Amino acid sequence: MSEAEKGASKGTMISLEKVRKSFQRGREQLDVLAGLDLKIEEGSFEALMGPSGSGKSTLLNLIAGLDQPTSGKVIIGGADVGAMNEGQRANWRASNIGFVFQTYNLMPVLTAVENVELPLLLAKLPAAERRKRAEIALRAVGLEDRGGHLPSQLSGGQEQRVTIARAIVTDPKIIVADEPTGDLDRHSADEILKLLEKLNTEFGKTIVMVTHDPAAAERAKTVHRLDKGVLAN
Amino acid sequence: MGLVTIAVRNIWRNKLRTALTLSAVTVLVIFFLLLRTVIWSWTASAEQASQDRIGTRHKVSFIMQLPARYVEEMRSIPGITKVAHASWFGAKDPNHTDDFFSTIAVEPKPFLEVYDEIKVPKDQVEAWAQDRQGALVGDVLAKKRGWKIGQKIVLQGTIYPGDWEFHISGIYTADSPTVDRSTLWFQYKYLDESRPPRLQDQVGWIMARIDNPGRAAEIAKAVDKKFEDRDIQTLSMSERALQASFLGMVSAILRLIDIVSIVMVLIMGLILGNTIAMGVRERTHEYGVLRAIGFLPKHIVIFILSEGLFLGMLGGVIGLAIGYPFVQKGMGPAMEENLGAFFAFFRVTPELVVISFLLAAGLGLVAAIIPARTASKLEVVSALRRVG
Amino acid sequence: MIPLTYNVRSLLVRKTTTVATALGIGLVVFVLASAFMLGTGITKTMVGAGRGDNAIVLRKGSDTEMASSLEVKTLGLIGAAPGVKRSDAGGALLSGEVVLVIAQDKLGTDGQISNVLVRGVPETAMQVRPEVHVFAGHAPRSGTDEVIIGKGLRGKYAGMDLGGSFDLKKNRPVHVVGIFESGGSSFESEVWCDVDTARSSFGRDGLVSSVTVRLDSPTKFDAFKATMESDKRLGLEALTETGYYEKQSSGTALFIKIMGGVIVFFLSGGAMIGALITMLAAVSQRQREVGTLRALGFSRFSILTSFLLESAVLSLAGGLLGIACAFCMSFVKLSMMNFATWQEVTFSFDPNPAVLVGSLVFGGLMGILGGFYPAVRAASVSPIEAMRD
Repeated sequence: MSEAEKGASKGTMISLEKVRKSFQRGREQLDVLAGLDLKIEEGSFEALMGPSGSGKSTLLNLIAGLDQPTSGKVIIGGADVGAMNEGQRANWRASNIGFVFQTYNLMPVLTAVENVELPLLLAKLPAAERRKRAEIALRAVGLEDRGGHLPSQLSGGQEQRVTIARAIVTDPKIIVADEPTGDLDRHSADEILKLLEKLNTEFGKTIVMVTHDPAAAERAKTVHRLDKGVLAN
Repeated sequence: MGLVTIAVRNIWRNKLRTALTLSAVTVLVIFFLLLRTVIWSWTASAEQASQDRIGTRHKVSFIMQLPARYVEEMRSIPGITKVAHASWFGAKDPNHTDDFFSTIAVEPKPFLEVYDEIKVPKDQVEAWAQDRQGALVGDVLAKKRGWKIGQKIVLQGTIYPGDWEFHISGIYTADSPTVDRSTLWFQYKYLDESRPPRLQDQVGWIMARIDNPGRAAEIAKAVDKKFEDRDIQTLSMSERALQASFLGMVSAILRLIDIVSIVMVLIMGLILGNTIAMGVRERTHEYGVLRAIGFLPKHIVIFILSEGLFLGMLGGVIGLAIGYPFVQKGMGPAMEENLGAFFAFFRVTPELVVISFLLAAGLGLVAAIIPARTASKLEVVSALRRVG
Repeated sequence: MIPLTYNVRSLLVRKTTTVATALGIGLVVFVLASAFMLGTGITKTMVGAGRGDNAIVLRKGSDTEMASSLEVKTLGLIGAAPGVKRSDAGGALLSGEVVLVIAQDKLGTDGQISNVLVRGVPETAMQVRPEVHVFAGHAPRSGTDEVIIGKGLRGKYAGMDLGGSFDLKKNRPVHVVGIFESGGSSFESEVWCDVDTARSSFGRDGLVSSVTVRLDSPTKFDAFKATMESDKRLGLEALTETGYYEKQSSGTALFIKIMGGVIVFFLSGGAMIGALITMLAAVSQRQREVGTLRALGFSRFSILTSFLLESAVLSLAGGLLGIACAFCMSFVKLSMMNFATWQEVTFSFDPNPAVLVGSLVFGGLMGILGGFYPAVRAASVSPIEAMRD
């Protein structure tokens, strides 16, 4: 058993071992992440911070199973995500990760509750069951009376809340957020962060968040700083 | 709710663009209906021409006449059941010299026996047979000229010069697309008795009904063989073969129209493809989010193809809703009246309706194929990077 | 003024959309140009057969030579009329011809019959129609069974080639001793034989279909016509040759032009909407860009013209491709029935410069019309857009 696998059985949710990620830019090879190690325990609330180009988004993508490492291991929830092909990762993401992006999360032609139902389409649940779970999720974020509204009828903060509802509707273990408060005013941003905190403390979700916002970093339990593909702490 | 229903809703994302695209498709569908009906109208007369009638004319030139006695001689050929003759007259209405219509001299009763698609009330037939100057007029022509039964009209002869008076004895109609409802049929004896002796006892062509349509070619050959050694030879063929040879002479135009149809299909495809591609490009981030949530490339493909298909289908439906009444009720009668010589029957066939719909829908689907493939091949991470 | 390179570069950036829209317009321009090229080609072919100083005499009321019939004795009368040019030998430059359409088997089709025009001509025919010129073989000798055929007939029907022979009617074979051309006119789809051969083969003894005379000059026509039509007993009608052929071809040429017009009406409607869609998308995509231009000081008018120019460049590019392809059509020959005479005539697409340029301009107009509303939208963008997100 490798270190990573031992760590997994002890409550480690996310384990990256000697992870490298390089991109081909013409003739040059760009090493964004160069041999990174990272462990995140179950139930953590981690913030990833760093200047532009530090590789934090790349790191997040690996953790979320959106991308594959050039070398090294990515073990999440006991599964070797780094070794999966795109199709397998897609299936894995559907039941294990909830996503919150900075903007344009929701489909404009769907109502709030329909947007929340989206991930459940993949689970092949009957329509009534989907609707029930979506409404529960919306209640958890305090928007149960806005279910029939289109995104254009919601404020920025409300849109993000619907996004979070969608992120939890499949009851994933991990929530990945990429600048969730980047487009919001201070008040809405606080609401979102409070919500994320609640998901973490009350529902035990592991949250990994990339952010520029110091207030957001404060809410997190741990802050990782990245610079040129290397973790500072 | 499913991927397909979302795709359909996506069509209305950009209302203006969708409306414009649909109107372009509508215009082209209407045009397609018009174009194919023109071709159908021309070729229908050939396809629906009867096989159980043969026509016999002068072998050398259709301008030259056959001896009248050939008519009787043809009766004895096995397989021929009824015979009638017809002669081209060629006349103009002095009040409307530019309007062309056919004037043909026949013997009333034998003619109607051979040409039984023509529907006339019995009393009018009798009146026509009794009146030497009687004429049987097609209902489309009668309506256009305002001619009524009992009216006396005067026409100018082009081949047989002078003023010729006719009495409208009857008005005929027909429901077969092969029948020209703008013809004036009159009594052969009126023509024959009025022309100089050396031109008498001649007929333009001879029509005969045969007992077995399958033997049309054979019987036609038998007729020609009978008159082979005479001074004046014949050329016989089934009516269908005759019509087909006319079509052969305008085949070039038909081919040109086919090319135009293809051009139209290309233009429709370009517009649909362009619209769909634009939409796909604008929604790249959205597809990225869907992929992130766990949707597979094949789902994205279904998504985009459904959108294209529905856009095409919708365009097809609207185009038909407007185009069908326009061509069938609006243009149809107008064409039949004014250009009845070319388009005796101008109708939209049910097959054409189905084909037009399938064409629009199919084009929408095909036009979406390349945008769908491009979108599905994009990596999730790249898609997410695009904004809006 | 915003430089044109801005527009050209913008067009090149959105390659696929630009190409798709330009192609759509190009297709319409192609169809328009081709249809009108065919129309003028038909007119050229038919009318090309006529001269302004030739007059044709028919029986009154007949529309075509084929329907007309005159007695031979009227030839003297016609030749003596005022205005008729005399040859050097002193005789009238007059050609009484017997014109017929006969059925011939078309080569390369499955026994399909087509109609060929046969013109029985006297010796004076070539003098009256000097543009008819035998370029292979020799002219037929009068009183023989020799014939010449127009080059449009060559190889189309059995026996119609130099040295070949075919039957005018049963037991009446004729031999092709020459091929003639006549500047692309409809004569090139005719068979010319000796007038007496035609008369006896087709039972037209003592008759001609028409009489064509050369006049001293086109101005003499009115006097000539008056003389011809003065004696009602004779029942004659005179037209200038060009007038006669114009009447013949007008039906067919008009038909083609109308069909072309209707086709282009619909197709251009579709293509214009396509241009509209493309330019609208371009304008909304470049809102910030336009806002910047406005902030920099460019007037609304310059923005408007800039986008109109962009539409024009787009559509002219497509249009150029369209007329280039249409020009290629001028190498295509079309065999079509002339509705007036029921004969099959070979027509070509006339690469008329006016038609080509006109079609290109039409293409440009299509783009400008389609791009007008988007250009107005662009012009109404305020400089604040430049600072928006």
